[in-house]
Amino acid sequence: MLEVINLKSRVGDTEILRGLSLSVNAGEVHAIMGPNGSGKSTLAQVIAGNDDYVVTGGEVIYKGNNLLDLKPEERAREGIFLGFQYPVEIPGVNNAYLLKAAVNAKRKHQGLGEVDAFEFLKLAREKMAVLGMDPKFLNRGVNEGFSGGEKKRNEILQMAMLEPSLAILDETDSGLDIDALKAVAEGVNKLRHPDRAIVLVTHYQRMLDYVEPDFVHVLSEGKIVRSGDKTLALELEEKGYEWVREAANG
Amino acid sequence: MKQAVLSIDGLRQAVQSLPDDALTAAREAALASIGTQGLPTVRHEDWKYTDLSSAIDISNRWLADGANTESAATPADTVKSIMASIDANWLVIANGIVDLTHFVESSGIKIERFSDSAAPLVMERPLADLNVALLRDGLRIQIHAETEKPLGVLIVDETSAAATVSQANVEIEVAAGCNAEIVEYQSSSGGGDHYGNSVVVLKIGQAANASYVRIQDRRIGHVHTGRISVTLGADSQLHMAGYDLGGGLVRNDVDIDLSEPGAAATVNGLYLAGDGQHIDNHTRVDHRVGPASSSQEYRGILNGRCRCVWNGKAIVHKGADGTDARQTNHNLLLSDKAEIDTKPQLEIYADDVKCSHGTTVGQLDEAALFYLRTRGLDRRQATQILTHAFAADLVSRTPVTATRDAITALVESRLAELITDNVS
Repeated sequence: MLEVINLKSRVGDTEILRGLSLSVNAGEVHAIMGPNGSGKSTLAQVIAGNDDYVVTGGEVIYKGNNLLDLKPEERAREGIFLGFQYPVEIPGVNNAYLLKAAVNAKRKHQGLGEVDAFEFLKLAREKMAVLGMDPKFLNRGVNEGFSGGEKKRNEILQMAMLEPSLAILDETDSGLDIDALKAVAEGVNKLRHPDRAIVLVTHYQRMLDYVEPDFVHVLSEGKIVRSGDKTLALELEEKGYEWVREAANG
Repeated sequence: MKQAVLSIDGLRQAVQSLPDDALTAAREAALASIGTQGLPTVRHEDWKYTDLSSAIDISNRWLADGANTESAATPADTVKSIMASIDANWLVIANGIVDLTHFVESSGIKIERFSDSAAPLVMERPLADLNVALLRDGLRIQIHAETEKPLGVLIVDETSAAATVSQANVEIEVAAGCNAEIVEYQSSSGGGDHYGNSVVVLKIGQAANASYVRIQDRRIGHVHTGRISVTLGADSQLHMAGYDLGGGLVRNDVDIDLSEPGAAATVNGLYLAGDGQHIDNHTRVDHRVGPASSSQEYRGILNGRCRCVWNGKAIVHKGADGTDARQTNHNLLLSDKAEIDTKPQLEIYADDVKCSHGTTVGQLDEAALFYLRTRGLDRRQATQILTHAFAADLVSRTPVTATRDAITALVESRLAELITDNVS
């Protein structure tokens, strides 16, 4: 599904990714962990197509094509979804309106007709029930005045509606209380599917108690320094990131 | 560039060719006033950014060609579609000619023609004088009881000649204690050059409540100047909003006179401008007594080579203690060829006042754009959504509910034209 090969990227003059390689197949859940500043969010932003992040080397192949040639909206329509660490508040834009426009943009790309308003609302309400979201959120401005937990649930709602092939969730667990964390995790687990890949970018192991990853990678200074199964996350939690840094250097 | 000068000889001939009626003396007085004052030039502080040369040029060509009024008085299709979009009781002024055939007699509204009764006052404002000098007829409207539907004033021009000029003038009086809803709709079509000039005088009685919506959807390229002068009685309220979507050179002057205590005026406006448009909104609020409040909120969306002007003036006169005056102007510039000159202006000569003003000029939020694009919307769609959101608040707060759907549709379709694929 996704092949990241020796990816290098910078923001301004600061080099952040320094030759990152990663291979993700359909049906897999990968967790990418690492200390602050290691490049986790940069990887997510580069894959989503944020042009503040300049790619200076390497390749990203998605479904056999060069992903870096595509605009952000083309990537989205091809099935890439980024759950933002800090979802943007857009006052005045109705949440339901955005959801519907997003679903229709993808359907149009797939050669399908626009979604019927009744079906859309029914589906949205179902997904919101799973996430423990009040249906009134549909009629509010996008993320406008939402609490941290509400914003993250809203990201998962968008993901559930868009049914991506590759979902990258950037620190979706941060700032959540235990109930919100469980609801978000349930939303993610419901989307686990043999045709879909999920990449969880996270600082803490906490989320992984609820969404069990197939692979865990540890990022340090712009590179993956260690990969393993879910036990790596536990080991990391116990020993701290200093342990990985030492292991990488030693 | 040298500014054009209005042909006073041509104007005199045109004035003298109008029928002899109750308006004659006022026309002569207005003509004399223009003869001595002339029309404003960019050397006048209030006209610094707005050059009337194109209005004068069209006027001179029209005057030289015999100052004819279009014979096809009422463009039926345009009128029909506007009337279908807003449920109001419509008075029509088509190509400067009053047409009362669409109006349904109402016990709450009394209408007189200027030509039959007393004529309007000469205001000694150059464009209002030009209006009165060339006025074929106008209407004095008294609203003395609440009506089921809003009162509509449709000012519509359809041109076929190379250059045409039309005037519209109405005076509306809202009786004491009365609630009134009024819609002014400005529309024009046709291939020729056109200059439309309108004057509205609104007198709001004691403890009355007037809601006034102005929609300007003239043909892009046509010239329009409009003045609305409002006086508010004690404890009365004005809720006004203007929506400028069309026109080429457009200048709106709104003057609010607060001479009685307890009055409150809200004046909002939205302007959407694209290539070749110049939209100038000047407001002036005179706080002559307190307590009284005024609030102005204008928003603009500009794309392409265009220029907009906002000048919001509030003058708090000596002794007007207890004044609360607020003004804001926010602008979204989507092109580096778009220009805005925004100027809030407070002149305060009283002691106990609360005044505030704020203006912003900005671009779209790149983070919001990227967020929408990661949801599959292309840049144009994302831009449309964000600009629509910027305008939506003023649209939903239209003071005349019956206009909301029509304004929503007009704003949506104008934004769809303005936000093209080449949005930067």
